[in-house]
Amino acid sequence: MGNFDLLMHGFGIAITPMHLMLMVAGVLMGLIVGVLPGLGAPNGVSLLIPLTFALDPTSAIILLSSMYWGALFGGSTTSILFNIPGEPSSVATTFDGYPMAQKGESTRALTLAFMSAGIGALLGIIVITLLAGWASNFALKFGAPEYFAVYFLAFAAFIGMGSASPAKTLVSLATGLILSTVGMDTVTGEVRLTFGYDELLSGISFLVVVIGLFGIGELLSTVQEGLRFRGVSSRIDLRDVLRTIRELPRYWATTIRSGLIGIWMGITPGGPTAASFMSYGIARQASRKGQPFGTGRPEGIVAPETADHSAGTCAMLPMLALGVPSSATAAVMMGGLMIWGLTPGPMLFATKPDFVWGLIASMYISNIVGVILVLATVPMFAALLRIPFAIIGPMIVAICFVGAYTVSNSTFDLWLVLVFGLVGYMFNRLDYPLAPLVLAMVLGHKAENAFHQSMVLSDGSLGIFFSNTLVSSIMVLGLALLILPKMLQLGGRLRRKMPVE
Amino acid sequence: MAVTRFHAEIATAIGTGALGIAAVIGATELGLGWSESGPQPGYFPFYVGLILIAASLWNLASAFVKHRQATLDASNGAEAEEPFLDREKVQRLGGFLGAMLAFVVATLWLGIYIGAAGYIAYSAWRKGGYKLPLSLAIGLGFSVSLYVIFEVIFKIPLLKGPIENMLGIY
Repeated sequence: MGNFDLLMHGFGIAITPMHLMLMVAGVLMGLIVGVLPGLGAPNGVSLLIPLTFALDPTSAIILLSSMYWGALFGGSTTSILFNIPGEPSSVATTFDGYPMAQKGESTRALTLAFMSAGIGALLGIIVITLLAGWASNFALKFGAPEYFAVYFLAFAAFIGMGSASPAKTLVSLATGLILSTVGMDTVTGEVRLTFGYDELLSGISFLVVVIGLFGIGELLSTVQEGLRFRGVSSRIDLRDVLRTIRELPRYWATTIRSGLIGIWMGITPGGPTAASFMSYGIARQASRKGQPFGTGRPEGIVAPETADHSAGTCAMLPMLALGVPSSATAAVMMGGLMIWGLTPGPMLFATKPDFVWGLIASMYISNIVGVILVLATVPMFAALLRIPFAIIGPMIVAICFVGAYTVSNSTFDLWLVLVFGLVGYMFNRLDYPLAPLVLAMVLGHKAENAFHQSMVLSDGSLGIFFSNTLVSSIMVLGLALLILPKMLQLGGRLRRKMPVE
Repeated sequence: MAVTRFHAEIATAIGTGALGIAAVIGATELGLGWSESGPQPGYFPFYVGLILIAASLWNLASAFVKHRQATLDASNGAEAEEPFLDREKVQRLGGFLGAMLAFVVATLWLGIYIGAAGYIAYSAWRKGGYKLPLSLAIGLGFSVSLYVIFEVIFKIPLLKGPIENMLGIY
C-alpha cells in the first residue's frame, strides 16, 4: 500500500464522531493552556496523560496532539493581544504582532498569525506524509549501535545548534540522564542512586519533572515580574478576517521560506522556538523595502508563525519513526506512548498502522479545526487573562500539583514538583535550556540500553560505533553537529576581532 | 537584600556539580567496571556524572570570568552588573513560594481538596483584595469542580484527608 492509501485509511480512522469530539476538546484545552502563563504545551500534555489511561492509544494521541496544536495557536494569541508570549516559541511573534495590534489592526494580526500557522502546519504534515514510509524503512536497518548513534546525534545537535551556552546545555542533558537512571535498572535489576529513599525505587517520573520545571518554574518567572496584563481590543470582525485572507498570497515567498526552515528545524532537533527566531531573522534580512520590522510588518508575523507550526508538526516524524523527539512536547508525548505500551520506532509503522496513520490524518483535520476554533474563540480566551493573577495563579499551581499527584498517587511527587519548580526557575533565569533535560529523561533508558547492548555485542570496544557505513555516518554527523556550529561562531568572532587589534 | 547574577550562577553551578558528585559516589558503590554480562550498572551514571561535574566547573569558571569583566567595566564607568533579584522581586517570590509551601503541607495533612480551597481562598482574600466570603466561595468552587472532573468523570481518586472521611466522601 502506498502512503496515499495509508493516509486515506487514516482518515477513515480519524473521522469518527468520537475522534472529532476529542480534537475539538483537545484544541480547546490547548488554547487555555497556551493562553495562560505558566501552563505551556509540554506540561499541559503532561497533565493530561494520566487522564488518557482510559482511552485507547489512537484516541489518546489524537487528544494529546490536538492539545499541542491548540497550545501553539493559543501562544500566538497572547503574544499579539497582550505582548506576553504564552509559549516560548511565540516570542518572535510579539515583535511585529503586538505593534500591529496596537495600531488597531488586531484582527488583521491575529488572522495573519493563525492562517500562516495553519499553512505552516499543513506544509509540515505533507512532509510527514511523504517521508513517513521512507523514514520507517530506513530505520528498520537499525541495530543497537545505530540507535545509540541516533541518540548521540540528538544530544549533540542540542549542544551544537542550541542558542544557549554549550556547557549549560550539557549540564541540562547530563542532569536529565542522571535523573533517568534513578530507581530500578531494567537491564541488571539493580537499584541505583536512591540513597536509601524507598520513594525513589520506582524512579523519578519525567511527567512530574516536566510539571515542576515548566509549570511551577514558568509561574515563578511570571510572579517575579509582577505581571500586569495590558491587552488591546480583542474583538474579531469577520470582514477584516476575509480581507486579510485575500492579502495572504502576497507573502508567498516568506511563507515558503519559513515553512522550509520550520520543517528542517522540526526534523533535526532544533525545535519550534529556534525555528521561529531563525525564520524571523531571515525574513528581516531578506526584506528590502517597506516599513522596518518591529513596527507591525505583516511578514514579521507570517515568518515566525509559519516556521513555529511547521516545526511543531514535523517534530512528530522523528518521534514516531526513530523514537527521537525533537521538541520538549514531542518528548512528553513519546513518554506517553511508552506508558500506553507502544514502542516508538520503525516497528510502530509495521505493527500499528492504524495508530500512526490515524494520527497523521488527524493532524490535517485538527489543524483546520484549530484555525477555525481559535478565530471563533479569541475574545473568550483573551478574557481569561483579565482574571486577576491572585486567583488564576494559585489555580494553576493547584492544577499542577493535582496533575503530579495523579501520575502515580504518590505524595512524594508533590515535593518533587516543588523542587523542580525552583530548579526550573533558576535554569530559566540563567539561560539553561530545559528541553534537553526532558529529552534526556525520556531517552535516558533507551540510550543506556542501546549502549549496553552495543558494548555486549562488541565485547567492550567503542569501535562498534564506527563499524559500518550507516552507524559511522550518523556518528560523524553527530560529532560535526556538536563541534562545527560553535567553531564557525568562534571563527567568525575572531575574524571580526582581527582588524581591531 | 539583593542577589546578583554572579551569585546565582555560582550557586547553580555548585548545585549541578553536587548532583554529579552524588551520581559518581552512588555509581562507585554499584561497580563501574565490566562483568560477564556487559558493563556493570554503575558504568553509565558514573561517566555521565563525570561529564556533569566537568560542565559545572566550566560554568563556574565562566561565571568568574564574566564577573571579573563586569567589575572591570563597572570601574571604567560602564553599567554595573545586573541584579538577579532585587528586594521587590524577593518579596514577591517569597510571598508566592511561602503560600505554595503552605499549600503542599496542608495538602499532605488535610488532602488536596481542602488544601486547594484554602490556598485559593487565602490568595484571593489577601492578595486579590476580595471579600472573605467571596474568596471562600471561589476556593470551594474550584475544589468542587476538581472533584467532579477527577472523581466523577474520570474516576481518578485524589488525595483526601480526615475531613472528607468525616463527611463520608470517598
